[in-house]
Amino acid sequence: MEILKSRIKPGRTLLYIFSYSFVIIWLIPMLWMVITAIKPDGSPVTILTELIKPPFTMDNYQYVSENASIWRWTWNSVYIAVVTTALTLLLTSMAAYVLSTIPFKGNKLVFGIIIAGLMVPTEATIIPLFLMMVDSGLVNSYSSIIFPSVAAPLGVLILKQFYDSIPKELVEAAEMDGANKLRIWWSIFLPLSRSSMAALGIFTFISSWNNFLWPFLAISDEKMMTLPIGIPLFQSGYAAELTIPMAANMLASLPALIVFILFQKHIIKGIAMTGIK
Amino acid sequence: MEPVSIVNENKKQQKKRKANKVIGLLSNKKKLSLNLFAWLFLSPYLLFYSWFMLYPIVKGFIISLYEWSIGNERTFVGFGNYKSIFQDSFFWEALSNTVYFVVISTPTLVITGILLALIVNAKLKGTGFLRSAFFLPHILSISVISSIWVFVLQPYTGLMNAVLKSIGITTEIFWLDSENLAWLSILLATIWWTVGFNMVLFLAGLQEIPDDYYEAARIDGANSWHCFRFITLPLLKGVILLVVVLQSIASFKLFGQSYLMTNGGPGTSTRTLVQYIYETGFRSNEMGVASAMSYVLFLVMILFAIVQFKFMSKKD
Repeated sequence: MEILKSRIKPGRTLLYIFSYSFVIIWLIPMLWMVITAIKPDGSPVTILTELIKPPFTMDNYQYVSENASIWRWTWNSVYIAVVTTALTLLLTSMAAYVLSTIPFKGNKLVFGIIIAGLMVPTEATIIPLFLMMVDSGLVNSYSSIIFPSVAAPLGVLILKQFYDSIPKELVEAAEMDGANKLRIWWSIFLPLSRSSMAALGIFTFISSWNNFLWPFLAISDEKMMTLPIGIPLFQSGYAAELTIPMAANMLASLPALIVFILFQKHIIKGIAMTGIK
Repeated sequence: MEPVSIVNENKKQQKKRKANKVIGLLSNKKKLSLNLFAWLFLSPYLLFYSWFMLYPIVKGFIISLYEWSIGNERTFVGFGNYKSIFQDSFFWEALSNTVYFVVISTPTLVITGILLALIVNAKLKGTGFLRSAFFLPHILSISVISSIWVFVLQPYTGLMNAVLKSIGITTEIFWLDSENLAWLSILLATIWWTVGFNMVLFLAGLQEIPDDYYEAARIDGANSWHCFRFITLPLLKGVILLVVVLQSIASFKLFGQSYLMTNGGPGTSTRTLVQYIYETGFRSNEMGVASAMSYVLFLVMILFAIVQFKFMSKKD
């Protein structure tokens, strides 16, 4: 091994140079957003030496938080993402548990119908969904955004696959001890599936946080908007200057950035699990 | 002696049968309660599923058979809406724009995804940083992504042209104002935003390949290219298929990037099917026509997925 390693070395150096120069280029748009957001209005933003020199200012942030409902939008986004994730985890776990452990009549049929839903993109049902929301008076409500997301079948599939792998003996032993089905779900299946649940939760949260098309259609009241819908609305008035829109971008991204930096390993692992299975 | 034993036998069997009956009754009762529990536990999810998934599919089809606009009388037109969209040149343009984006974006995003995964899997120092950095844009919302790229690509004040100028390309490029460059811009933004997701999937696939395979191949004198071509690629086939399908479906649904960056322009040259459905339904208030288009989108996407699965599994 040692000999092999030393032989590969020139290649490794090249790989290092390539990888790290690429990652720097990759991060430039992000860094540019961070820096321009703290530059005073009208300062040159394309000359590197000017960019990294003071003056820096927090005025853009102050302006955005005073002139856009950014805190309200952040709250809406957080609320919708949290409720969607919690509801999805609870309901899909219950459904997956039944489909995996109880061979009732129609089990296969129900599972088949749910899985077929994986092929239905939201984009194809926006018209009937919108008309339904109009009919039931749900337009411009949190429910109009949360409910359709909860119906997504991915969670049922992921959790059922995991539940199928839990050994039957474990369930039988618990039944011998007198545990009923509800108890078995709560104290065996839920704790055992913690990592699958975390993966599904992360996936659901990110999807909800970044959901664009449906909230864009269902929400027209500025007070009810989520960040992805509110931000372009606010920015549409600032096409010429970029320091203020960039500060808005930063504020809209901060919650996600903080969560990502704290939980990056879990998030990336979780994404891998939802896709690979 | 014999008759007695027969009687005894009969009694024994009767007892057994009785016991069986009791067990049978019990298990029937148990079965009932089990079934009850099953449906009770399923019902909350099924309620959401049928309300927001099954019902809209049916309702969408019904709407597509009507001349239907909010606030007006509805008239049944049969398949008239379908007929009219097939005669609508804007519909064909939007469909071909969408297919064009699927065709240019799927291979690029799959190949870049594999490349990034290979970099992150190469056991370099700082792998954790590289992985997070490549994935990072994926957690930003499409609105932020589009806004950043619009500013990066803006002529005169944008970063891209400034960089190009510094390496000697002095013509001012209007990225979002010509058809080909607009597509290139949308593609760039899409890669930056979503390739991290593909990378993570490929990375998981790469990590399942045992190191021994590579070591054995190296001992047999294989170089890096051989290893990649004859070990990595074949073993990654399943993941590649998965990513190709997921990616082409995602590309087919393109809306946010193109709507926010170019608004379908210049003209209508980057207007996608989803955007056209949105404009037909929500701006022109032609819900019936828009619903018919949604159905066409839906069918094309399913076809895509089926063809790809067939094609990829044949290649074996």
